[in-house]
Amino acid sequence: MKETLSYRTLKYMSLLVLMVCTLFPFLWLVDTTFKSTEEMFASTPSWWIENFTLEHYTWALGEQGMNIGKLLTNSIIVCTLTALCTGLIACLSGYGLARFQVPGIKLVIILFVLAQMIQGPLIMIPWYELASTFSLLNTKTVLVLIYNTMTIPVGVWIMSGFFKTVPKELEEAAYMDGSTKLKTLFKIMVPMALPGLVSISLYSFILGWNDYQYSLILTNSLAAKTVQVGIAEVMESMGAANWGGILASGVIVILPIVIIFAFIQKLLIEGLTAGGIKG
Amino acid sequence: MTRKFIRLHGFGYLLLAPAVIYLVAFQFYPLFETIRLSLYDYSLIANKGMSFIGLDNYKFLITEDDKFWKIMWNSVVWVLGSTLFQFAVAIPAALILSAKLRSRGLWRGLMMVPWVAPVVIIGIVWKWIYDGHNGLANYYLSALNIIQENIVWLGDDFWVWPALLLTSVWKGFPYIALMLLSGLTGISKEMMEAAQVDGATAWQRFTRITLPLLKPIMYVTGMVAIVSSWTKFEMIWALTNGGPGFETSILPTYVYTNAFVYYDLGKGSAIATLSMVFVLLIVGIYAKLFGKEND
Repeated sequence: MKETLSYRTLKYMSLLVLMVCTLFPFLWLVDTTFKSTEEMFASTPSWWIENFTLEHYTWALGEQGMNIGKLLTNSIIVCTLTALCTGLIACLSGYGLARFQVPGIKLVIILFVLAQMIQGPLIMIPWYELASTFSLLNTKTVLVLIYNTMTIPVGVWIMSGFFKTVPKELEEAAYMDGSTKLKTLFKIMVPMALPGLVSISLYSFILGWNDYQYSLILTNSLAAKTVQVGIAEVMESMGAANWGGILASGVIVILPIVIIFAFIQKLLIEGLTAGGIKG
Repeated sequence: MTRKFIRLHGFGYLLLAPAVIYLVAFQFYPLFETIRLSLYDYSLIANKGMSFIGLDNYKFLITEDDKFWKIMWNSVVWVLGSTLFQFAVAIPAALILSAKLRSRGLWRGLMMVPWVAPVVIIGIVWKWIYDGHNGLANYYLSALNIIQENIVWLGDDFWVWPALLLTSVWKGFPYIALMLLSGLTGISKEMMEAAQVDGATAWQRFTRITLPLLKPIMYVTGMVAIVSSWTKFEMIWALTNGGPGFETSILPTYVYTNAFVYYDLGKGSAIATLSMVFVLLIVGIYAKLFGKEND
């Protein structure tokens, strides 16, 4: 079908509207952080930056800020461990789910679906209890443990989808050559599904990085507190007194996520939608 | 017999074991703990340990707590409002992105940014937009003569809800649009063209072909949207802390308030348990209403 000019215009105009609606809060965020404080609070807000300044970023990264370096380090350590843990378990159990029709597999699937519902407020009180019983409050360990409850159900699910796309013949050929099952998994299957594995690990990293609720209840000191809780606290205590600095910190925290997402988005979207269609 | 069974299935079970054990130990067991704690009088402030009180926590919430029913109602508004409006935005968004566009992957990726961004930062950005004095929202609306004087969006008993829902829709619609988009790409071009040749208008094609074919994926996605707006109290906490007063509190935020602000773990657990019953109820009704045709 040949497209008419008016159809084309309509198409791209709608796209423009969609993109503006989706992205303007981020653009406004970034725009604001480069303005002087005076300009930020001008009576008529403007997208134009009169006096370009980096003072908000200096505040955010500097001594008088919220110690963002330490908070970022905490977040990076916790999320990296979460990503590795989920990656490993998704490798094993995702493969199990994809290829081994064991008796009771239906029950396992129901378990995975339910686990995606059993989150946050439904389990946070016992987690707090258990963490204090085992003196794990304020540790990175407890965060890694609880973040995995968010990431394992979805990680295993998506990973099993990726494994299913690997042709069965490859495994059969390996068995013929006398390879053991475990060896086949790590020598044949994992390399084939490696991009998928990397993307769900990085997705786990994102989920952990974005968490607010668990870190809020389980940590309260610099030893383990994540950057999200740190920023929320500064927002609470300083609020409007330092919008610029807080918004600049926000940009610093969003940036890694956007970069990681840009890197994995194609595969991640494939994995997510494949799971969604099958339900 | 057992030997054969182990040789046949042992490896499969071994592979599944880590995830299953993890979920049972760290999610299902805590869930039962929540239910158990809800039967106790257990306040960390009173410092008198735990004592079994049966259903008293529930009785108090349902009959004596004057905030409870309001919060219950808020929860319904929040879950249904978020889900419905997210769909209302996601359907046109998916249609736009399903058209033949240059560098479509890029646009699709950009659309997903709100969904992937951390909720704390999103809360801060929107607080800045909704700000009563210098916010962009007030500025644009008064420039367009829609409002006469500035509104303190998040501090106003009435306006706080539209503001909250707008942010929630903005954050949640990309996921739904993505799912619908994947459904749309499965609809055959030939069918659409045939309908067009037969003289069906764009609207007819949308309502008679596209929507019915999207139903199964809409059903599943709707379920996910309901559950995910339910289990996360973060968006509301980041924007309003459930306020002004308890105006935007929902059951999940009330769990937090009771358990970690008042340190009443017993009552907090009772609310958590009720909130679980409640989400199962909603999901049940939803499945009853829309599930039949999608089996």
